[in-house]
Amino acid sequence: MLRTTSKLAHRALTASVQARAFSKDFHDEMAPIVRNRPDAAKKSLEDFVNPPGPKVESITLSGIRDEVMDIAGIPEEHVIQRRARVFRPAREATQTAWNNTKLWKIELDNRERWDNPLMGWSSTGDPLSNISMQLDFASKEDAIRFCVKNRWEYEVEEPKERQIKAKAYGANFSWNKRTRVGTK
Amino acid sequence: MYRVPQLTRLATTGARIVTSSARGQQTAAAPEKIEVFIDGKKVLVEPGMTILQACALVGVDIPRFCYHDRLSIAGNCRMCLVEVEKSIKPVASCAMPVMKGMRVKTDSPLTKKAREGVMEFLLVNHPLDCPICDQGGECDLQDQSMGFGSDRGRHQNQYDGKRAVEDKNMGPLVKTSMNRCIQCTRCIRFANEVAGVPDLGSTGRGNDMQIGTYVDKFFASELSGNVIDLCPVGALTNKPYSFMARPWETRKTESVDVMDALGSNIVISHRTGEVMRIIPRMNDDVNEEWISDKTRFVTDGLKRQRLLAPMIKEGGQLKQVDWEEALYVVARKLRQTPADQIAGVAGGLVDTEALVALKDLLNRFNCENLYTEESFPTVNGGGIDLRTNYIMNDRIMGVEDSDALLLIGTNPRYEAPVFNARIRKSFIHYNLDVGLIGSPVDLTYDYDHVGTNAKALDDLLAGKGSFAEKLKSAKKPMVVVGAGVLQGPQGAALLAKVHQLADQLRSKQSDKSWKVVNVLQRVAGQVAALDIGYKPSVEALRDGKKSIKLLFLLGADEASVSRRDIGSDTFVVYQGHHGDAGAEIADVILPGAAYTEKESTYVNTEGRSQKTLPAVQPPGLARVDWKILRALSEIAGKALPYSSIQEMRQRLAQVAPHLTRYGEVQEANYLKQSMELTEKSSSAVNAELKPAQLELADFYMTNSITRASPTMAECVRAARKHQQNPHIEQPKRHTAASAM
Repeated sequence: MLRTTSKLAHRALTASVQARAFSKDFHDEMAPIVRNRPDAAKKSLEDFVNPPGPKVESITLSGIRDEVMDIAGIPEEHVIQRRARVFRPAREATQTAWNNTKLWKIELDNRERWDNPLMGWSSTGDPLSNISMQLDFASKEDAIRFCVKNRWEYEVEEPKERQIKAKAYGANFSWNKRTRVGTK
Repeated sequence: MYRVPQLTRLATTGARIVTSSARGQQTAAAPEKIEVFIDGKKVLVEPGMTILQACALVGVDIPRFCYHDRLSIAGNCRMCLVEVEKSIKPVASCAMPVMKGMRVKTDSPLTKKAREGVMEFLLVNHPLDCPICDQGGECDLQDQSMGFGSDRGRHQNQYDGKRAVEDKNMGPLVKTSMNRCIQCTRCIRFANEVAGVPDLGSTGRGNDMQIGTYVDKFFASELSGNVIDLCPVGALTNKPYSFMARPWETRKTESVDVMDALGSNIVISHRTGEVMRIIPRMNDDVNEEWISDKTRFVTDGLKRQRLLAPMIKEGGQLKQVDWEEALYVVARKLRQTPADQIAGVAGGLVDTEALVALKDLLNRFNCENLYTEESFPTVNGGGIDLRTNYIMNDRIMGVEDSDALLLIGTNPRYEAPVFNARIRKSFIHYNLDVGLIGSPVDLTYDYDHVGTNAKALDDLLAGKGSFAEKLKSAKKPMVVVGAGVLQGPQGAALLAKVHQLADQLRSKQSDKSWKVVNVLQRVAGQVAALDIGYKPSVEALRDGKKSIKLLFLLGADEASVSRRDIGSDTFVVYQGHHGDAGAEIADVILPGAAYTEKESTYVNTEGRSQKTLPAVQPPGLARVDWKILRALSEIAGKALPYSSIQEMRQRLAQVAPHLTRYGEVQEANYLKQSMELTEKSSSAVNAELKPAQLELADFYMTNSITRASPTMAECVRAARKHQQNPHIEQPKRHTAASAM
């Protein structure tokens, strides 16, 4: 009895380890686990900062974009009919920080949402409705490239930059200007 | 202490620079930039800037509560303390001007310790009610205590207790919860500097300091809602929106406002297909980051009195029908009625797409009778054929460069509150001189009252009076005439006079791009309608010369055409979003979409085309306006050649290319020709110039959306009561009922 349990436990353990190693082939359950990379060794921080050997040049894959979209199986109504807006979000008027305005975003044309009668949550029939919340792009060009790849029509909205004008604490107390404040 | 003399000197130079650059006197050499180091990164800044601004230039956000980009520097929250090399103590970066070679450390242990200490003090008296606070999720205090605060405090609640402050009643828009106040004084500074209603202030000292109006009263300002955004904590929140939604649940759509002709940029927060609230979106060229109370609190008007389904009048009763039937009835009428007996009237909230579609549709039936409800003189100076005549040529931004401003027959405080805030800013910071011809109204800043009658213009033309001197000596004078006083028979002569005055002032100008003459429109759709070629004024329909048998009202809700004017046998079609004056006289109602529900173009008073984006769907069977007209055209047998928004946009660009250049101002030309066409001999104008909105109670309800809004109705009531007795007799406590 004890033996079977331990055997079962061992089997389960091996299975989980194998699953974690993304092993594709089915090993005999008692066979030892073989590492895919026998040369694997712990890397030091320095190896990451200055990796030895030449960096692999970027590989250009020509034409692959079109093919991917042809076989991607995305319904046509989410390719042809969608229009994307490439923009940098405005600063939240209710808050002071500017960090959320630095990245570019994509927003698709807004579709209907409704109150879900079961829980009162917001429902939508649009599978792409969340991309404006999830996708960030470092530059406008990246965002445009993404739109092109997905065959969306897009328009770019240039952000409104803030102007920083010099101002001084002393203006509160200037004796000959209207900026003087009487009281607070 | 050794820093003090240096500091004052720098502060004064800074102030001088502001004035000179503001006047646009580029002749003076730009001051040499100062080199400072922010976290070791070199940055060149204008002298007179503060450390905090220098940090902003390199993208370093200094935590702050009291400092705000558009308010004066207070320096009382101390959250912006940073370490500066060779300085003994941490420095309040919001108030400290930069000095040459200054090395600022915004992330050093000393800075962190200073922030942590300030945060601990701030939290001593701040209640722990984030879960029930409306600011939760978009609270600066919440965020910054997470980022910079300590993980524990030394406050001992059982011994020290927390400060308790009574809530104030500031009227129907701003809800207060004063326990949460951290006394940043932003609201006080906003009220004093931007709104120009110095009602808010602080009383008491130290721990007993309180923000409020001292005696409970309505915060009677048309910009009052902005203190909600300014408040870094949840002390001032949106009363109609209270407990409605959380910021992380809502979706945000960047759009444009249509309550006035400024086209303020807004963000619409919405959830489950319902508009929750509207907040401003920064655009320095238009609205900085303010919006008026009408813009902000109109949201409940979008949910009431809506037209949800097409309707046909049968036996004096409107009966709900389906789209097909309604469109067939209208199409049949369109085909049957002779061209000269058809007319279209567009209201002030109509978007450009619908305007073009209606014009194209009626033009296909050989009908040219297209009018706007808002009227404008057409006879003088090329009338509406030349664009210089009806837009604000020197732009909203121009007020900051101008040094003398003459307002004619307008009350910008209520016609365009955000523009008025801009004038006030210019008045305070750049010493703008303001003159007014028209009813003496409270503009929140001092002005020379030149007269109430248009005859005062003759004196100015003759150079009589002190303000004439100021105008004459001004480097960049601006004349702003309100579209309201240009209505009616005397409008043309008045506009001619304004043009003469502007021409006189312009002749002395060195800068030829400065046009002096400006028109402040009252409604959002007017400039686009005139650009497209609508005829302003419905006089032609009213005087009975034309016998109109089919009248198409496109969002025309100001009752400019009544049943009495057109006769009982006229078939009236109303297309629009609210059941208001237009729907009342209609035989067929086609329900359209409001500005939050459609992608559309609006051109503001300076000629800047801007785009709204749909936040929610039109309710019920209502549809986007230009699509309705497109469908109608097809049923009527003359299909319009556009069926998608892109094709519609192409058509807009065909009609007038500037309509699709979003965000840009298309400058108007032919000023000289306009002057040549102006009648020099024009007759004397003798008219009392009285704008329609004189006091706060007139401000809230000006179009069909605001008339449907209970919040606006409550504001009118509060404003009237405030006028009779500014102080609220019985202090009202917040109860659950009043909070809703």
